[in-house]
Amino acid sequence: MELLPFFEWAETSFLGYIGKTYGGVYATFGQSLHLMALAVLGGSVLVADLRLLNVIMRDVPSEIVAEQAHKWFKVALAVILSSGVFMAAAVAQRMYHNDFFWAKMSALFVGIAFVFVIKRPLLKGSHADIHPMVIKLVAIASILVWFSVAATGRWIGFSG
Amino acid sequence: MINEILVQFAEWLYATGGSRAIEESFYLYNWIETTHVLTIMICLGMLAFIDLRMLGYAMPTVSASKIADRLNIPMMIGFSIMFITGLLLFYAKPTYTNQSIWFRIKMVLLVVAFFNAIRFHRHMKASESTWTNEPRAPLNLRVSAALSLGLWAGVVTTGRLIAYDWYHCYRDLPGWLSAAAGCVAE
Repeated sequence: MELLPFFEWAETSFLGYIGKTYGGVYATFGQSLHLMALAVLGGSVLVADLRLLNVIMRDVPSEIVAEQAHKWFKVALAVILSSGVFMAAAVAQRMYHNDFFWAKMSALFVGIAFVFVIKRPLLKGSHADIHPMVIKLVAIASILVWFSVAATGRWIGFSG
Repeated sequence: MINEILVQFAEWLYATGGSRAIEESFYLYNWIETTHVLTIMICLGMLAFIDLRMLGYAMPTVSASKIADRLNIPMMIGFSIMFITGLLLFYAKPTYTNQSIWFRIKMVLLVVAFFNAIRFHRHMKASESTWTNEPRAPLNLRVSAALSLGLWAGVVTTGRLIAYDWYHCYRDLPGWLSAAAGCVAE
């Protein structure tokens, strides 16, 4: 499926127009909001995963930490997706030709699928019923995926 | 006077070999910047959970002092990396950064956030035994937590805006803004 027409349309859309025309709006409601949401998303991933790895909060049940962190993960993800769409719309055609943009989209897709298809269903019940090695592998995979999303996202700006 | 001294210092830094080496290396500079941004997830991510706990929005069933105590170490590790990479970023572009109004506002916000954090810890340590298991912290700590979130949002925003030169010295700026940005007469 050819996606270029969609990206061309996105750049001429209302969102694209706002982001292109008003640099201050793009920088604050796009980039800064995206970074703040990244902080909360990264925090929720690290709080939950470092607990699963027994690095922090060992005296708090991991079920409680994972549950609460997931609540804030969803909020942060919603803000990241909204601000990300806004930013991408303003420079949509450039994004279409940017390899790091596609790398980030792939990592983001894998990250979201990993959380909602594997991690969350697995960790919903009692963690005592899951093999400790499985829990640790899930935590390490989660940290790696979300750091990849963030790193590829930053490199979009360095690569043209 | 202070702006002249800062400009001289920035120009001296700029002329050093290390500064040139970092700025001229595509991968070195960009990886330092990437690390600076990624550690937001460690430092501010942990800080956000501590502040949200105080406000009653995260882990209300877990002792507030326990959350603050356990997340403090990873937060400080993240802050240390952010601080070192931030120094290196300034070292790579000292003349541009020194005269960025956004950088200067960011520094002021960081200092205010630092004093707010000291006040927060002092008040928490003095009173935690009476409320730590409550879903929300007392009002003065909630104010500090909300202020902390606001100040760090400001730090992130102004940090991001350093890349934009809308109010840089080579623009036509009003006198007060020119002085605030550290512009000096050629």
